[in-house]
Amino acid sequence: MTETVIEVQGLIKDHISNFLRKRFRALDGLSLKVTKGEAYGLLGPNGAGKTTTQKLLLGLLKPTSGDVKVLGYAPGDNRALAKIGFLPENPYFYAYLSAHEFLHFFGELFDMSAATRNKRVQELLQLVNLSEAGNRPIRKFSKGMMQRLGIAQALLNDPELIFLDEPNSGLDPIGRRDIRNIMLMLKEQGKTIFFNSHMLPDVKDICDRVGVLHRGKMVGEGLVKEICQNGTTQELEDYFMNLINTAEEEYKKTGNVTPYHFDREVSQKQ
Amino acid sequence: MRSINVIKAIALNTFRETVRDRVLYAIVIFALLATLAGVIFGQLSADQDLRILEDLGLSVITLFGGVIAVFIGTTLVFKEIDRRTIFLIVTKPIARWEFVTGKFFGLALCVLVTNFAMGLFFLGVIWFQTANFNSALPLFYALSLVYVELVLVIAMATFFSTFCTPLMSMIFTTGLWTVGHLSFSFDMLKELARDPKHLSKSTEILAIVLQNTMPDLAKLTVIRSNFMDNVFVPNSAILYLILYIAAYVVFLLTLSSMIAERREFS
Repeated sequence: MTETVIEVQGLIKDHISNFLRKRFRALDGLSLKVTKGEAYGLLGPNGAGKTTTQKLLLGLLKPTSGDVKVLGYAPGDNRALAKIGFLPENPYFYAYLSAHEFLHFFGELFDMSAATRNKRVQELLQLVNLSEAGNRPIRKFSKGMMQRLGIAQALLNDPELIFLDEPNSGLDPIGRRDIRNIMLMLKEQGKTIFFNSHMLPDVKDICDRVGVLHRGKMVGEGLVKEICQNGTTQELEDYFMNLINTAEEEYKKTGNVTPYHFDREVSQKQ
Repeated sequence: MRSINVIKAIALNTFRETVRDRVLYAIVIFALLATLAGVIFGQLSADQDLRILEDLGLSVITLFGGVIAVFIGTTLVFKEIDRRTIFLIVTKPIARWEFVTGKFFGLALCVLVTNFAMGLFFLGVIWFQTANFNSALPLFYALSLVYVELVLVIAMATFFSTFCTPLMSMIFTTGLWTVGHLSFSFDMLKELARDPKHLSKSTEILAIVLQNTMPDLAKLTVIRSNFMDNVFVPNSAILYLILYIAAYVVFLLTLSSMIAERREFS
């Protein structure tokens, strides 16, 4: 039986507006499981709850109700965070630092020794093709360079589980290719990847399984191999659009969306 | 040991961030210019030029050091949230109290450096005026107490920055700092409340509560003046004041950590 790395059951997250105290339900009874070594893609239109899901799994937000376990611990537990890497969407880094200083700073937060940090920083800068720009201030980096640096900081601790939120957002085709190659390499190393993306070609190439969120509910989940039987991105896009359109029509008629029932065992990665 | 390493890393990063802030240099330059103004005011007085220079210099360092503490301290945590660098920090295996403490020490180090620089400049101006360093030691003691006061202001700013916007943090921090210097007024308020002509139990209770909860910075100012007037100050009084400020700082940082622990970052 493959080890479950992320387990979510009945997760609800309500946001309360500051002034009028109005309650908005961002996630409504979300359930999902991710197994070790799996690459899981969370899809959905803007505002579906993808980033909220990641933030709940990382402890940046607290659930209103529901059960969540990440690497066997509650979200935000330092024992889990020590094995996790995270790249947020459109990250902002300390512009006054160089890439070296930036990675060394985060290495210190992992309590790495100076020798380990030096070795790891060199390795990662080489991996993300930033060795020559290591001493340049980050404020002089391009968008693609910042994303690659962000991936480098997410891999500092050689994590078991990596969260990526729209890693290809705003990148040119060369940048997207670089990020995709890094993610494929991580997958080959047996890392578990949980990533949000709108880039369906990348999802098709990288992910083993996808889940589709709409209005805070999981409306579909499936193996990429089964969805894309002919290996085309069009099949994934059709799958995605069919689920969203069906859910949206139901919402317009009834004011509600029926969630996909997570009532089967997760298939082992083949 | 691990916590110390993490706090040190965050403190040094905060220090690097603040010393590269152009606002800091603008404030320091203004402070140096204001210190030079003391020379001009001193020329206008009769035989009190040194005393005026010393008093003005100390006040300038206190005021501008406080401006740095308030301006930068009240945006310490807010900037991390606004720029979303907080996402990268709190998803590392560190405790929120380590983060808050590191930010506090980083700014405290920055204020120490700027105070030291302003103090050196100030001593240089005095030497230029008097050609001696007779007032160097009393000034050093007085400046040390200025720094102790500013450490408390930094703690207040750090506390408010964990849950307020920068503007509200500035208002609350400046307000609390000001009230701290009005502690003698609470004695007067209590006496007034007990006066049979103006008897008010609720006012008396309010005065007692405020006196015991608000930081008492007036005594710091008195001791500083005593140093400058070469009046003897017992070591026990200085130690008591330093420990009192330290306890207040620990209290504020503990509250800040508790708030940071419960904060969500959306």
